[in-house]
Amino acid sequence: MLLFLILLPILGAAVAFLLSNGRPRKIVLAGTSFIHLIGVVSIWKFSPAAWFHGFLGMDVLGRLILTVVSILFAAVSFYLWGYLKEEEERSNRVFVTSLLLFLSAMTLVTMARHMGLLWIAIEATTLFSAPLINFTRSPQSVEAMWKYLLICSVGIAMALLGTLFLAVSAAGTGTVLLDVLLDHATLFSVPWLKLSVIFLFVGYGTKMGLAPMHTWLPDAHSEAPSPVSALLSGVLLNCAFLGILRVFQICAAAGQTAFAQDLLLVMGLLSLAVASIFVIGQTDYKRMFAYSSVENMGILAIGIGLGGVGLYGSLFHAVNNAFAKGMVFLVTGNLYRIYQSKKVNDVKGLLAGHPVTGIFLAMGFLAVTGIPPFGTFYSELMILNAAIRSGHFWVAFFYVLFLALIFIGIAGSVLKMLRGDTGEQAGGPQAKKEDIGSIIPILLLGLIVLMLGLYMPSFLDNALKGSSTLLGGG
Amino acid sequence: MLLELALIAIVFLGIVILGSSRLRTIIHLFALQSFILSATPLLIYPGVHALVMMTAVLILKVLVMPVFLFWAIRHVSIRREAKPLIGYGKTLVFGGLLVGAAFFLSSKLEVPFREVSNLLVPASFSVIMIGFLLLVSRLKAITQVIGYLVMENGIFLFALLLLDRTPLLVEMGIFLDIFVAVLVMGIVINHINEEYDDTNTLHLTTLRD
Repeated sequence: MLLFLILLPILGAAVAFLLSNGRPRKIVLAGTSFIHLIGVVSIWKFSPAAWFHGFLGMDVLGRLILTVVSILFAAVSFYLWGYLKEEEERSNRVFVTSLLLFLSAMTLVTMARHMGLLWIAIEATTLFSAPLINFTRSPQSVEAMWKYLLICSVGIAMALLGTLFLAVSAAGTGTVLLDVLLDHATLFSVPWLKLSVIFLFVGYGTKMGLAPMHTWLPDAHSEAPSPVSALLSGVLLNCAFLGILRVFQICAAAGQTAFAQDLLLVMGLLSLAVASIFVIGQTDYKRMFAYSSVENMGILAIGIGLGGVGLYGSLFHAVNNAFAKGMVFLVTGNLYRIYQSKKVNDVKGLLAGHPVTGIFLAMGFLAVTGIPPFGTFYSELMILNAAIRSGHFWVAFFYVLFLALIFIGIAGSVLKMLRGDTGEQAGGPQAKKEDIGSIIPILLLGLIVLMLGLYMPSFLDNALKGSSTLLGGG
Repeated sequence: MLLELALIAIVFLGIVILGSSRLRTIIHLFALQSFILSATPLLIYPGVHALVMMTAVLILKVLVMPVFLFWAIRHVSIRREAKPLIGYGKTLVFGGLLVGAAFFLSSKLEVPFREVSNLLVPASFSVIMIGFLLLVSRLKAITQVIGYLVMENGIFLFALLLLDRTPLLVEMGIFLDIFVAVLVMGIVINHINEEYDDTNTLHLTTLRD
């Protein structure tokens, strides 16, 4: 089953590459993502056995992330149906092929039980997602792709070095299989372990968009086509987060939790600070939401750094944020289609002119900034709770301060876009109808975040509890 | 003894790359460095594993990548590195300092098992730092890619410490990833060239806050 989920998108990619026509390729994309989703759901029913000498396996944490990946990917591929129709004059061969390979690489990340294999999978996600950014072939998107490739490759090279350091530290075990490492963690050489943790956090942190290694993120996420931004922000960052969680798991087993936590707290707070500085007065709405991704990744790091309830809160926030970010970037796709501009100032009177997109934007904004009743509010609250309970009052203070600043910053721009009258634009080329294909995926993702705020399904609760136990929490 | 000589040659070649401005020379030097690198696994642990590693390095880093890089510079017709941000002389001095720092750093770290040569760790750190310096101090996209590759050579040296402990499959995966990375970067360089008629990354500054 595990191997099937990895090979299926590769097979789909091969078919998509060989097809000469754009339309059947879209069917392959939609079909593959749908079957993938069914496969992932079935994993919850029957837990598959480990594969390939323990290199591949599925624990509760990997399954949680994989489910989020698969749901969001299915929603995005549904959205892409209409998007690719509009971009029909461009060949989508490379685009669809890379997209499916990207799905396969992300699936592999969630299943890797070997730190070397995990590294390979995370690097592969970078390589397959890079061509996606450059779909429109504009000078800006070329620049964004170059920065993304170079900075993430260097970051990932650091992570490779960190993995090697980890192997030196665990020299006694003679392998870096996760399960073996966790069993023998107490025998590790501590200086090498600490060095490896620094390198791995910096490496995977670059991919996750934690400050100060976040510089590629606003460029890549704002220049990519919106459905791709939704995937990058929603699930790719979570895959890198999983890499950090695996390292944290090892640290916890080796009794070095405090060291890893301090590192994560510093990186997390720095990310919040950077996001709050750049979100205020941001003139490009996609960039603004990209900085909101930096913020949310910072929140995840802080949650893990605090431990205790923070672990549960952080994992819950990862789930919430994936859907909220996916939703908001799909909304920006609709906005761009209507106004053909990414500037906040070009968008006026959205509620009056395009009420559906307007309401979605308002919903998405409330969801990403963590306002009740959305799920993000509760997960952010849990992390605050963890900060106060563990006596990190300064962390709690800055956490609330930065979140408030970011909320004000985004609210200012979003209100500007929503209010006012459309007078000058009426009748122009912007008066495009909002078609159903671009609305349903957004509505679906929005409802998921809303539902997570109102009701916690027991299977999710169990998965979150199980995952935080893996990370050394109660 | 032979191993030590090879390691010194690898670090030395790294420093020579730092001082070169002609792109063809830089690629030749990189290929030479990788050629010496390919012999090191065999010098440490003669065996099948080492032979496979040697072949992989020879094919990918000595043959395919240099040929590909030559193709890329011919395609975008550039010969020389643009005037770098920091002068060549200063970069060299800085590179020397980094090598010193690498030796100092590795003297502080004790490897928890018996090493084949106590030069291996400092040499690997030196090459990684030299590669990184090349990557951040040069402007042409193609030199930055070579900087990345030099960094990877350094990481490869470090991986030799663990040669008899890691499965071959993982190493192959890592090779494949690096290879694809360079391939994708080469394609991007072409895109940059199409958009700007030049591969100077100083042009890539429209995206900022």
